[in-house]
Formats: sequence, structure tokens, C-alpha cells
Amino acid sequence: MIIDQKKIDEAVATIIDYGGHGIRRCVQCGACSAVCPGVRAGFPLLCRNLIRHLLNGQLEEIIEDASSWGCQACNRCTENCPRDVRPQEVVFAFRRYQANQLAFSTSSVTSQMNLFETGHAVYTDPREVRKMVGLPEVTPTSAFDDLAKIEIQTLISNSPMGELGLF
Amino acid sequence: MEKIGMYLGCNIPLKAPDVEQSFRKVFPPLGIEPVDLQGASCCPAWGTAPSFDLNTWCAISSRNITIAEAKGVDIMTGCNSCFGVLSEAKHFLENSEQRKVVNASLATINREFKGTSDIYHVAHVLHRKVGVEKIKESLKYSLDGLKIAVQTGCHALWPSDVYKVKEDNPYHPTMLRELCEATGATVPHYSRLGSCCGMGGMRSTDAEKSLKLFREKLMSIKEETDADLIVTTCSSCFLQFDMSQPILKERGLIDFDPIPTFYYTQLLALAMGFDPSQVAAISQIDRSAIIGEIQSEKRLIKEVA
Repeated sequence: MIIDQKKIDEAVATIIDYGGHGIRRCVQCGACSAVCPGVRAGFPLLCRNLIRHLLNGQLEEIIEDASSWGCQACNRCTENCPRDVRPQEVVFAFRRYQANQLAFSTSSVTSQMNLFETGHAVYTDPREVRKMVGLPEVTPTSAFDDLAKIEIQTLISNSPMGELGLF
Repeated sequence: MEKIGMYLGCNIPLKAPDVEQSFRKVFPPLGIEPVDLQGASCCPAWGTAPSFDLNTWCAISSRNITIAEAKGVDIMTGCNSCFGVLSEAKHFLENSEQRKVVNASLATINREFKGTSDIYHVAHVLHRKVGVEKIKESLKYSLDGLKIAVQTGCHALWPSDVYKVKEDNPYHPTMLRELCEATGATVPHYSRLGSCCGMGGMRSTDAEKSLKLFREKLMSIKEETDADLIVTTCSSCFLQFDMSQPILKERGLIDFDPIPTFYYTQLLALAMGFDPSQVAAISQIDRSAIIGEIQSEKRLIKEVA
């Protein structure tokens, strides 16, 4: 592999821009990967190895890899990192880069639509089961609150998410 | 009675309302009044706004927090993901630059994040505000002799620097164990106590990898504790344990019957004598035998008013 400083700078700047502020502090010790459930489960590009690719300037090359979406956001890595990299924020920064290039699974679109339309990422009509357990059929949440839904839609529409043409 | 904002999230009010009902039943007798946060939305879940844009995540999270701020109450979440997402968002908003940007978004819906409400998990409220002694006094049935394997779940543990309440050692959590022991049950240690159950982004991205991880954890529970039941304070872990054990069984990947699984407040509600058809009604795994055992006459301690 040819190491190209321009590509490294671009990859690092992209990750920092999407919230992975600590990436430059990484010394590749692997304390993050040692405790990562995603690494344990067999996702190839998480924690140390993802950061390695990014620090080598590999950004577009790995855009189709689904590992980042297998991140549990559990933050064991953040707890363990001796350099305060906050590796999960780097993983999520990479995921945001992918998402904003629309490089994510179509199954994930449903949650975005649900969030926009009901304020809930997971939505199923709850009225029957709620009645069964003796609760009011409608929840006190955004799903049954029109003003709340308008507020959520306003926040999303005016954000970078709104510019992706999903809604 | 101390009031606390009951932040419901998505899975609990929509898919597991018996868990919501268990909150509503157990807290008032323990001296805590849960108040509804009208119009609260998704936290937002990791796979949504947090995966697209940091400030949109913070705006949606802080909108939820402002509902509690307006009522002058702290927040209690039942879902670990909600606890993690809201706590992290609040942590990001300690940065004044970020807060300014997010408050500019909130201004478009006439809201302002002030940072006056703290984020607690249901387990924290029970352990730190109510306390195990009060829980012991509230029991109608003793769970003496029953063996519980506990599952705390990831997002109440790490990263400990953003949480209002933390374990002494997040890799060896003790709060849920102590809460379960308060019911009289035995809570043996198992080697994969701190492991991830595989739910969440992993399950939706690659169900097979998720099941493999889950099986490792489950086998550790079965072989090392032979627990009568599994108890969790994470609604996602609950769904994984309840939904994936039957899958493993059907595929012949486990040779024992699925272990009945409960959210902690369901167990507590049963031990306090509440009606199982309201507080522990929805599960894939048949829990009727263990519920009958918990609420059997021989376990009666006293009549609770």
C-alpha cells in the first residue's frame, strides 16, 4: 500500500469533522479491540483496525464495509482507552461519513422514517397490548402527540439528515 | 413523595407495556412518584440521528430533556440505550460551543436546554434513592431459594465518565445483583457477567454474529449458575434473552429449555404481589410456571397494604 499524506489528512479531517476528535491520539495499542463485542463477534473493521485504516488514509476504500453498523455503542473501548481517543466516537464518526454518503443498509431507512413520522425509531401500534395490561391505550409520548411530532419533524428537516432526501 | 420524570423510550411503551405498568405499580409504594413526560420521543436510538449527525442527536435528546426541565424533575429511563444516549448528549452539551449550536436548533421549536435535569436509570433510582432495605420491607413474597442470573447491559456501565450514577467497577457491576438479592433470591456470579448480549446494532446488522455472542453468554449462565430465571434492567437485553433463546432451542444449539427472563421491576412487582396479567404479561418464553412459583402461598411474607 502506498501511503499518501494528502489522503491521510483528508481521512483524519473527515473523521474529526463528524465527531471523532480523538483519532490523532491513537497509538494502536488495541486496548479498545480487546474489549469490543463487535470485534469478538467477528466484524473486521472496528476500534483499532478501523482507526488503523483511517490513519493510513483509507476512507473511501472502506466505505461499503458494514462493521461500523455492528457497533453496539457500548463504549467499553472508551472506558479502556489509555489515550482518551474515545474510539466509539471515531466509529460513529465513520458511520456518519458512510450515512451521509448514503452508504448504509436499506433496512435502516425504516427506523429513520419511523423517527420522522412518529418520533419513535421503533414503532408498532401499541393500543391492543397496552389495553391488555391495564394501561391507557395511547402512550404519553410523541406517537400520539401532534405538536411533539411537528417539533421532531422541524428538528430533522432543518438538519443534515433532512438534506439526504429520505423523508 | 419525590417526583421523577418517567422517560419511556420506544420498546417499553409500544412493545413491552407490561414493563411500563410495572414501573407505575412499584414506584409509588416505594416513595417515588413517576410523572409522565408528555410528548417525549425516541432518545434518539443509536441507529438513527446519532448515526447521521452529532448536533441532530443532541437536539432531539435535549428536546426530551427540556420536557423534564420544564416540570422541574430529573429523568428516569427504563431502557439502557435511552440512558446512554441521553447521558452522552447531556455530556456533549457541557461544551458551551456545542450547546450554543444545539440551542439555536431548539429555538426553532421554542425550547432551550438548560442542563438542570439529571439522567438516572430505573436501577439507579431503586438502588440509590429507594435503597435495598425499603425494597425488602415492601415484599409480599420471598424469593428465597430461587437462583437468578443478572444482566445489567452495556449502556448503564460505559463510558462511566458521562453517567450521573456509576458502578464502583463497571466490569463487575453489583447494583442489579444487590437489587435481586433484596428479594431473597440467590444471585451467583458467572464468568460472562460483563459480556454483551448481542442485541442492538449488531443484531440488525448481522443476526448470526449476534446469536453467536448471545449463545456464549447464555451457556456461561446455564453451565455456571443453572439459574431459575434471568433478570435484567435493560429492555433491549430483555428482548434478546426472550426472543433468541427459543431460536437457539429450535436450531438445536442449546439442549435445555429457555430460561424465563424478566425486567427487574417485573420481578419486583411480582414479589410485591401485583397482578402478573398486568406487570409480566408479554413474553415469547412461557413464564407461567415461575410466576406461579414466585407468587405461591408458601412464599408469603406478610400482607402488604
